[in-house]
Amino acid sequence: MMFDWLTPTLIAVLLVLAGIGAVRRMNLWRAGQADKVDLIAGLMAMPKRYLHDLHHVVERDKYISRTHVATGGGFVLAMLLVVFVHLFGVDSKVLAWLLLAALVMMFYGAVFVFKRRLNPPSRLSKGPWMRLPKSLLTFSITFFVLTLPAAGVLPEGFGGGLLTVVLSFCILASLVEMLFGMTWGGPMKHAFAGALHLAFHRRPERFGGGRSTGLKAAVLGETSHGVAKPTDFKWNQLLGFDACVQCGRCEAVCPAFAAGQPLNPKKLIQDMVVGFAGGTDEKYAGSPYPNVEVGNAKGGPDQIITDGLIHPDTLWSCTTCRACVEECPMMIEHVDAIVDMRRFLTLEKGDTPNKGAQVLENIIATDNPNGFSPSSRTHWAADQNLNLMKDVQQADVLFWVSDGAFDMRSQRILRAFVKLLKAANVDVAILGDEELDSGDVARRLGDDATFQNLAKRNLAILSQYRFKTIVTTDPHAFHCLRNEYADFDSDLNALASVEVLHHTTFLNRLVQEGRLQLDTFKGGKVTYHDPCYLGRYNGEYDAPRELLASLGIDVAEMERSGYRSRCCGGGGGAPITDIPGERRIADMRMEDVVSTGAELVAVGCQQCTAMLEGVVEPRPVVKDIAEILAGQLIEEAH
Amino acid sequence: MSQYDALFEPLNINKLTIRNRIVSTAHAEVYATDGGMTTDRYVKYYEEKAKGGCGLCICGGSSVVSIDSPQSWWSSVNVSTDRIIPHFQNLADAVHKHGGKIMIQITHMGRRSRWDGENWPNLMSPSGIREPVHRATCKTIEEEEMWRVIADFAQAARRAKEGGLDGVELSAVHQHLIDQFWSPRVNKRTDEWGGTFEGRMKFGMEVLKAVRAEVGPDFVVGMRITGDEFHPDGLNHDDMKQIAKYYDATNMVDYFGVVGSGCDTHNTLANVIPNMSYPPEPFLHLAAGIKEVVNVPVIHAQNIKDPNQAKRILEAGYVDFVGMTRAHIADPHFIAKIKMDQVDQIRQCVGANYCIDRQYQGLDVLCVQNAATSREYMGLPHIIEKTTGMIRNVVVIGGGPGGLEAARVAAERGHKVTLIEKAAELGGQIVLASKAPQRDQIAGISRWLIMEVERLGVDIRLNTEADENLVQALKPDVCILTTGGRPFLDQNPEWGAAEGLVVSTWDILSGKVEPGKNVLIYDTICEFSGMSAADYLASKGSLVELVTDDIKPGVGIGGTTFPTYYRSLYEKEVIMTSDMLLEKVYREDGKLVAVLENEYTAQREERVVDQVVVENGTKPNEALYYALKESSRNKGQIDNEALFAIQPQPVLSQDAEGMILWRLGDSVSQRNIHAAMYDALRLCKDL
Repeated sequence: MMFDWLTPTLIAVLLVLAGIGAVRRMNLWRAGQADKVDLIAGLMAMPKRYLHDLHHVVERDKYISRTHVATGGGFVLAMLLVVFVHLFGVDSKVLAWLLLAALVMMFYGAVFVFKRRLNPPSRLSKGPWMRLPKSLLTFSITFFVLTLPAAGVLPEGFGGGLLTVVLSFCILASLVEMLFGMTWGGPMKHAFAGALHLAFHRRPERFGGGRSTGLKAAVLGETSHGVAKPTDFKWNQLLGFDACVQCGRCEAVCPAFAAGQPLNPKKLIQDMVVGFAGGTDEKYAGSPYPNVEVGNAKGGPDQIITDGLIHPDTLWSCTTCRACVEECPMMIEHVDAIVDMRRFLTLEKGDTPNKGAQVLENIIATDNPNGFSPSSRTHWAADQNLNLMKDVQQADVLFWVSDGAFDMRSQRILRAFVKLLKAANVDVAILGDEELDSGDVARRLGDDATFQNLAKRNLAILSQYRFKTIVTTDPHAFHCLRNEYADFDSDLNALASVEVLHHTTFLNRLVQEGRLQLDTFKGGKVTYHDPCYLGRYNGEYDAPRELLASLGIDVAEMERSGYRSRCCGGGGGAPITDIPGERRIADMRMEDVVSTGAELVAVGCQQCTAMLEGVVEPRPVVKDIAEILAGQLIEEAH
Repeated sequence: MSQYDALFEPLNINKLTIRNRIVSTAHAEVYATDGGMTTDRYVKYYEEKAKGGCGLCICGGSSVVSIDSPQSWWSSVNVSTDRIIPHFQNLADAVHKHGGKIMIQITHMGRRSRWDGENWPNLMSPSGIREPVHRATCKTIEEEEMWRVIADFAQAARRAKEGGLDGVELSAVHQHLIDQFWSPRVNKRTDEWGGTFEGRMKFGMEVLKAVRAEVGPDFVVGMRITGDEFHPDGLNHDDMKQIAKYYDATNMVDYFGVVGSGCDTHNTLANVIPNMSYPPEPFLHLAAGIKEVVNVPVIHAQNIKDPNQAKRILEAGYVDFVGMTRAHIADPHFIAKIKMDQVDQIRQCVGANYCIDRQYQGLDVLCVQNAATSREYMGLPHIIEKTTGMIRNVVVIGGGPGGLEAARVAAERGHKVTLIEKAAELGGQIVLASKAPQRDQIAGISRWLIMEVERLGVDIRLNTEADENLVQALKPDVCILTTGGRPFLDQNPEWGAAEGLVVSTWDILSGKVEPGKNVLIYDTICEFSGMSAADYLASKGSLVELVTDDIKPGVGIGGTTFPTYYRSLYEKEVIMTSDMLLEKVYREDGKLVAVLENEYTAQREERVVDQVVVENGTKPNEALYYALKESSRNKGQIDNEALFAIQPQPVLSQDAEGMILWRLGDSVSQRNIHAAMYDALRLCKDL
């Protein structure tokens, strides 16, 4: 090839430009709020996080995981070698052959990327992303050809003027995409931002198989609360938004999106990028928020997000089910971002829609969302002969009743659970009227002040009594107690040595220990609906299934089950804010149930029970696992 | 929470926490066997209410404390012996197991009883005045006897306490001994046990003191009192307020139950258990008046049947507890269904008063529309379980109460059920019965059944007359014929039914025949149909004479219902004639002449009228039965041994081809709603 100087020059120039872009990009992130991150440790941990944790998620789609290993791995290796071979001119056949091998690998992967893009599923963003496979192919082919002389396959200075022009153009085109684009906002940005996002992730506990689902506490008493503008996010949250590959896996699992409510997690993340980088969403080439036109949103780092960038309805459509977070290969934290923005709307603007404001007022005034008289909290148990903690002071188990106490349907679950506890002779007590709402709804609606207030008051009560275990039938309270109260418990240590369990976990232990005599279930087909706050939030997928198996039930699993369970629509205060869509999430979930042919759907959450039972009949029967178990309990004859 | 929160607010009586505000108040069950013991049937009856969520059951209406207050006439509970204690323990355990509470009413009935049986006692009353309802003559009670009865009350309360019951209710209502002392109508004494207010109060006060001394301060002791006797010479509402206040001031009474009306005449007795002719809660104001003057909870029953009604009463604060006794006889799972959000599935009491009218005859209390009530011990279920066996194709012909019940139970079992009805609407004879004045609520029986069969997805085909071909075409595994009957007008050809000289009560109530101006009704049955037709015609302006060959028109109707008919018929100047047979009807000068003959003298009379209505019961529609009988595998036979023992029909477990055929209800012989529904339930519960 003629103009030997051209290749290294182009590489150098684009590397410099990429460097400039990187600095510029990092400055955009750094406009966010400070967050304590161990930079060195994060960077050290990054390769493992990539290879293990991230790949674990990507691996759920075998096609793309293999493709990505080939393409991404090939590119990283190739780019490194390109620097040595073509920029620094290191004359080594070994390196050249290595480079050729890396490029072949990359080419191989890129072919599959190309194939994927021939008829891409709707969840994938189009636009520049459609160009990427071509850029990848161009890069691999171009540098393959360029490297042949170094490998001794072709003579130095092969080819004529035309080839030189073509190759030069290809070098430029592919390097612009792969280097310049990486830091200036092209599709390859995901590699740069993604790597750093893994290093500086806000929830490092998630790596290595850990689980971190509790919301971060809002700092109260500042001049402003929550996230009003992009720069109110922590800097590493902004970085996280930039890591998005627009694969749309979040979109595919989002119940609100499927229901036609104006939320698409992918678009939300892209809007966050528009926000902190400044500009409009007109270049966004993925699915829109249902029934919202693309191109009208604009924002800037210091502009209020809900003034023109995102409609508040989008934020209030979220059920906080975490399906998007669970599914995101880049481990982006959508729910954190949404609640951060809700905090601003609720705490600063008082703009919690529909019943939201009333519910929050109720919680503040009566310690329960529906404003029932606090003194009626224990009415349901008038005939249950349950010990009150204030009378007995200690018990093996504290049964956290939760606000189901006020609801006639939920009371059936409570009574069934009590029946089982009694049958197993469990030493149990309840707090009675001393129990307060867990604060779950307040927190999800953005009112962290009320949540924190309730958490502290509940902890103060809990700290008065001695017990080893808290068991609750409400996964939302379970999540708060288990994952979110610790932030406020450092003085009291009320829960320091306490095990917090969901009732299915506890019941499963009782069954395993042979403390419950159960008859075989003889009804029809049964499926199981994983509650989000039990499954994705707390990783309990097995105990409910083992309990059902102990009754001889062979669960007819739904396609969306386990970590991919679809939300019932009842989380995150969504039934309260009640943003209109085209369908109801609960109806869709019931369709999932119906498609298994089940006559009974077992549930482990009062909220799911309420949502699914709200689906018009005829439909399968909805029962909590405690109710199913209590129905099969063999009671000792009196 | 729900719109029914007011029902579910627990409340204490003394130290006893009642889980909700719904009470099954004391009523005579007529189930206590073995000399008045609360045996299996009794226990299971109350256990079912507790299981169904009832807050408090006060059992044993008129449970006697003394051996000279007879119990055997009404199989009431005998609290005069320690033998009852272990039986009470069984009863208490059964109710407590389900979170319910149970107390018992204790009493000495004084003159309100019968002396001609059991121990043949002299009945006793403050002044020896005869009681008309029971035709009960009595002696004037002596002071020694009073102190003995007072001591008996205390011993009875002890037995209740030792038996683990949660309390006792002293009956000072329905003109029992305590309120016989209270009422100046009956207490004419001039000694310290009468005369002044304090004198009349003394006996009850001594009972209360003795009982309280025996059971201590924490055991619940309540009093059931009237709110007004409705007799000019009796206790009025102001008197009762004074009495309630007087006893309340002792702080020894933990609650008051208030009943509107006295009941020592037939007419006032009908008020006590208001039938369907009464408005809802007719005497609530009397209970509210008592609540005004006392400091303890007040319970009130009487025609409160609906959860919304109960909620309204409680929310308005008229009383603290709502008695829903017949409501629980009709559906012991009343509370559970509210809690299950199945309010529409509550089988609501319609006030037919089959229960109480049986009781007054000394027969066991049964629900006209719920055959499972009090038969729990035999294995009749209130909640029908789905079958685990084969799903059968069940065809029911005839949509009266028997057919509807058969279809309901079969559908609850999970079978594929088709219900065929000739008429344009379901309900059978209930449709006719509900057309009469003040009888519209009887339709509640079929309304519930229809809602249930619709909910259960029964294939209902109206306006369809079934014949052999239609039945065969449906290929039933089980065919149940409930084709009912038709008016039996041709028993005596001289009536001229064939010539159209007489019409039936069905023709009248259905509106098929216009009311005549001057009408003679000849009623051999003397139950509801004849009385209803008379009431209907009179209300349309007809001049009506109701004639029967029996001893009294309506004599077959029970003690709480014939008075309300009489009120209506007398007011409309219906002439009631007894002991006359209808011998012949003929036409003369455009008029009808009815020839009547006195049964005892054979003396004949004639009536010239425009219309003759004959109520002579029904004759079964059995043509379809005989058409299908031969081709059925069981030849249409029901195994009575299995049926009566509430066991599955043997034919169900026999492996054979062909259709099983059963018939029940009036298509076999004329009986009543309960009979048809009982057969339907016990046949189909094992289907």
